[in-house]
Order: sequence, then C-alpha cells, then structure tokens
Amino acid sequence: MDDQEVKYLKFKTYLNTYCPYCHQSFNVEKKNDKQLVFKANYKDQEMDLSLSPYLDVFESTTSHEVKEGDLLSDLLCPSCNKSLISKEIKCGECGSDVAGVIISAASKLIPFYICLKKGCEWHGLTKADERKIKLKIPRQEMPEQDKTLRIHNHQEVPYGFTSELASLEAGRCLQCKNPKCVEGCPVNVDIPAFIKLMRENDFNGAAKKIKERNVLPAICGRVCPQESQCEEKCILGYKDKPVAIGRLERFVADFERKMELVKIPIIKTKINKRIAVVGSGPGGLTVAADMALLGYSVTVFEALHELGGVLTYGIPEFRLPKSIVQFEINYLKEIGVRFELNHVIGNIITIQELLEYFDAVYIGVGAGLPTFMGIEGENFGNVFSSNEYLTRMNLMKAYLFPEYDTPMPRGNKVVVIGGGNVAMDSARSAIRTGSAEVTIVYRRSRQELPARAEEVHHAEEEGIRFRLLTNPIRYIGTDYNMVKGLECIKMELGEPDESGRRRPVPIKDSEFIIECDLAVVAIGTGPNPIIFQSSPDLKRNKWGYLDANNNTMETSISKVYAGGDIVTGSATVIQAMGAGRIAANAMHKKLSKEN
Amino acid sequence: MNEFKSIDDILDFAINSEQEAIDFYTKLATVAKTDAIKEVFTDFAGEEAGHKAKLIEIKKNGSFGVITEKISDLKIADYVVNNQPSPEMTYQDALILAMHKEKAAFKLYSALADRAPNADIRNLFLMLAQEESKHKLRFELEYDEYVLREN
Repeated sequence: MDDQEVKYLKFKTYLNTYCPYCHQSFNVEKKNDKQLVFKANYKDQEMDLSLSPYLDVFESTTSHEVKEGDLLSDLLCPSCNKSLISKEIKCGECGSDVAGVIISAASKLIPFYICLKKGCEWHGLTKADERKIKLKIPRQEMPEQDKTLRIHNHQEVPYGFTSELASLEAGRCLQCKNPKCVEGCPVNVDIPAFIKLMRENDFNGAAKKIKERNVLPAICGRVCPQESQCEEKCILGYKDKPVAIGRLERFVADFERKMELVKIPIIKTKINKRIAVVGSGPGGLTVAADMALLGYSVTVFEALHELGGVLTYGIPEFRLPKSIVQFEINYLKEIGVRFELNHVIGNIITIQELLEYFDAVYIGVGAGLPTFMGIEGENFGNVFSSNEYLTRMNLMKAYLFPEYDTPMPRGNKVVVIGGGNVAMDSARSAIRTGSAEVTIVYRRSRQELPARAEEVHHAEEEGIRFRLLTNPIRYIGTDYNMVKGLECIKMELGEPDESGRRRPVPIKDSEFIIECDLAVVAIGTGPNPIIFQSSPDLKRNKWGYLDANNNTMETSISKVYAGGDIVTGSATVIQAMGAGRIAANAMHKKLSKEN
Repeated sequence: MNEFKSIDDILDFAINSEQEAIDFYTKLATVAKTDAIKEVFTDFAGEEAGHKAKLIEIKKNGSFGVITEKISDLKIADYVVNNQPSPEMTYQDALILAMHKEKAAFKLYSALADRAPNADIRNLFLMLAQEESKHKLRFELEYDEYVLREN
C-alpha cells in the first residue's frame, strides 16, 4: 500500500489526546487512574464520558449508562464544547460516525479517530501516521520485583507484561513483508503473524501460532537470548530499539496458561512405531512433542527424579519458575508422551538395548560435566562446580528451605568464577541464601561477558560485585583444607591475534587475594561420559561431544540421533530445540520410508 | 655447556628433543582409550614432526632467522597444574600436558641462551626458545578458547 494513499488503519496505543479546535488535553490523571474525559450526547441527553487512555473502556461518568452496541450521537470537547464528529471519516469496522481528536506523537500533531459505537474498538489513523507513531513508542519494560525485596526471596524477578503493555509493544511491530526476525529464531516461529494476532486482541490465537513451531513458549520467552537471535534481526532495531519479541512471547504463553485456554490436540493418525528420547531437557521435549503429534509412541528417559533437564536442575526459580516447566511438560503428557524417571541410559540400559525395542533413539542429554580451570587448590573444601551448586539449589530445592532441608553450600563471602548466565545464576542464588558478599571474577572485560545483559544488570542491581579483567591463579586453604581465599592476577587485553580478538594476558606482579569461604566455578561444562561407556560405537570429537550430521542430526549409529549441548557444547535452550526439530523431521522421514 | 661445541651440536640436541616428543605422543596415541583422543595425540606427534623437519632444514642450510617477532604469552601453563600421562586422558588433560612440555622446553632454551658463549649460539638458542613459545601459545589459545570458555 502506498504511504500517500489515505486509508485509515486500526491502531491502539496509550495516547496523549487533544482537542483539534482549542488544543486542550482530554487526559486527566486522578490517583494513578488515567482517563480521557469528554462530553457526549446520548439519546438526547448530555453527559460526561470517560475513556481509558488505551481507548478500551468506554464509560459514562453520570447516571446514564451507555449500552453495548449503542451509538453516541455526539462527542464534544469539555473545554470549548465543540462537536468532534468528523464529516469525512467513518469507522473502518462498523461504518458508524467517528470523533476526530489530535494525538501528539513524533513531535507532530496527528489526526486520530475514535468510533462512537460502544464496543467497537476501531480507532484509526493513516498508515503514514502509524509509522511515525511506531517509531516513537518506546520499547516497553516489564514491571519487576524491587531489588531490595527480591534478594530475600526466590520468586521470579520480572512480572511480565500487562495486557496494556503487551498491546503497546505489539503495536511497535512494523509487520515487515520480509521479516528477518523469523530467520533469527532457531525454530522459525512466525513472529509477525503472532504479533498481528496480538494486535487484534487475539492473545489465545497468538499463543497457538507460536506453538505451531515452539512447544515451550513460556520457557523460551523467559530464558532465550532474544537480543542475539530474533530481536537482533528486527528491522525496527536499526532505527530504534527492537520489538520485545521475547516478552511478547512470554505474555501470550502466560495468558494462555492463566486463562486455561490450552487445548490438547487430537492426534488422528497413529503410527505403529516407538521412539526413545534420552533426556528431558528442551531438545528432548521438542523431539518428543513433534513425534507424538505425528502419531508415534514416544518414551522419554530421564536420569534424575524430576523432568526438565537443565530447565529444572540448572536455571533457578527466580529466572524460570518450576511450575512453568511442569506445566509445559504436562502438555506433553496430555498428548501421550510417556516419561520414565531415574533411568540413567548407558548405565541401566544401553543405546543398543534401546534400539532392540524402539525404532529410533534421540540423545539429548546435554553437557552436564563441570569444567574446572585446573589450577592449584581446586580440591579444597567449599570449592564447588556451578553444576553441583545449582543442582542442590534447584533440583534439591534448597531455595525452599526450611520446607526442604537440603544441605547446600553456604558461604559468607562467595566468589563465583566465570561470566556466563550460569555464573550470574550462581551468584544471584548465593545472595538469596544469605551470603553477605558475592563477587564475580571474570578474566575478560565487560564487553566480552557472555551472560545476557539483562542478567548482568539484575546481578549488579542485587549488589553482586564484578571483578573484571581478573584471573584466578590458585585457591588458598585453611589448615583443615577448606577454602579461605582466591589468589588472582589482574589482566589486560593483549594485541589482537589473527582472528582479531584481543586475548587477556596477565599484568606482571599484580597478584592479589580475594577472601572467600565458598567458591563456585562456572566456566563452562563438558559432555558427561556415562552414556558412551557402554556405546563405544557412538563417534565423538576430541572434546567428547557427539558427531552428528548437521542436516539430520543422525549419529554414527543408524537411527540414533542427537542434538543440543551433547553435540554443540553449551548453547541455548532454543538452539537445542532447533536441533530437536531437525532430528524429529529426519527421523520421521527415515521411518516413513520403511512403511 | 661443554657438550655444545658447535651450532650443529645444538641443532642435534633440539632435533633429538623433538624426536623424543614425537615418540612420547605416539606412545600416548597407542594407549589412549578413545579414537578421538588417539587422533589428538597423533596430531600432536605430527606437529612435533613438523618442528623436527624445520630444524633439520636449518641444519642443512646452516642459517636461521634473527628473532624479531614478539610472541604473546597467555601464561596459562604458569597457573594450570600439570598432570601425569594416562590412557584416560581427556582433551583438556592432553592440552595441559602439551603446554607444560612446551613451557619446559622454552625455559631450557632461554636458560641456555643466557649462558651462551657467543652471539651465534645465543641467537640460535633464542630462536629455539621462540619456536617453543609459539608452540605453547598454540595450546594455550585452544585452552583459552574452549576450556576457559565462560571465564
């Protein structure tokens, strides 16, 4: 559509509204209650009328009640008393009269029209004006728990969007004809389509649209690094901040859950083949859902006593509430996926034995083996891997103390080594369990911190200290071999190497000691070897990760597929899901040929 | 220092050291438990063979470059505890072992350079030390990139 063509579009936003004649504002704020106040004529009676600034509540403030579907005969400015009815424009949806007001956006006064029929939510402006406004609507922030309050509890930090904030944010999407955001999503969620449904107030439809490609939207909306995936590609991001796609995804998934709108699909076709999925993390759950929806009989084997993999044992409650993980898993149970807990594959059943009963196997066991730096003193007491520290906290529910009296590592002065999300999770968990001083030690500069900016920001707000360009060189122990300090050396970034990266090099004679009584090592993870000990035929690379075909995720053993961290090393939830989707498609293709 | 009477003596010593390294890694490749780690040690032995060939070439031509290039030192080998070779070694263990071996060779050649009787011998030792430093950096970069991934 040409920008110059005068076509009026439905548009909803928070507005500062003015009279086109006397330029007096219609906005009134009373005790945090924002309203637009007009005079109106309804059934030959003059009355005061208020609208919410989002234009979705349309109420008389006098004793005359405007009935749903009724039309106001006039809307007037309370200051100059002039009629606001437009002679040229009619409602784009019901054809009724509309009132013309002026809104202030993009340093301009823009004509804006409000339908006078109660219940009709058409509020219109031209396409060209719509673009001007979108560029000026700021990216919406989620309300969140106060920093002084949240360090004393384990409840989730951001509360999520309200429907008003979600609608405002959805209004910022440019609905590009060639959307780049979809390319940025490893499972290719149709992002413009779900946002379009949100703009039509069809939040349930939006949730269903996401679920066509992503079975765990409430989880991805919370923990995906959207800033380096879909949001990084958002066209609006070139001129302004990108659309908050992750927050919108979270909102619609939460809306669907809270309003109990989740519908269990009826699986019409039944395929008489069995699929085993090893590991109930995000990749395994994706394969399980995809194959179950296709009609396969799917069994998921989980080594631990709770489902969810890293979502349950790794990510803390304050970042991803366990009830949400459980809810998403229940959906899989409803569609017929079977779950077997406490099954350590490789130990009690081998991959070869699984192949005797199942038609295909997917390995999605993640990378659960902690990596240590290899420096002196790592075997002192109270030096923990982040895996153990967070597993105690999350899986063994130390955060629910005293309801669960889990022995968990406690320290007054805690150092966390590493700069990724796991390091932030460990540090923020420590502060919530009463540690007085928590320090993150990271070898490189702030720019290279691998954690999400949001997590770093939250950690800093919560009082966690950052010692950047600082490298641990040895632990110092007490006479009874408990850690009492961490010797570090200051670093500087050296000359760029062939790859252009500036690597940290130590500054001579800059050693110093950080006192601590608990150290958590969060520098990364590797593959757990258990599953391979009984399956030497599974080809692995030098780091111990599985070799899998990039196009099918099939391993060196036919009909054994793998994806996620066990193939790539530590990556993101959605990347594991993307690999699961590729494997499920390839699995289905191969098994279909056998029929 | 008495045993190094000429440039050729020094080069023979260095060539012999490289051969010892080839033998060391080849032996580890035969005992390693997984194919991937066998391949790692075979590759390490191949790299040492390349270093040996370079020294043989220097001996044949009778000339070597004067040190101008500055090799960065990440000093990872200075702080990481060395380990004993074993069939169960992981790639991280293999890198630690290799960087410690290169560091020891660098220190030996540097010490010999300090005690060299003349400029030619000193330059040759410095060149050898620099080569070992380059090899150490190659392992430290790998360690820096993958083991210390989030640090």
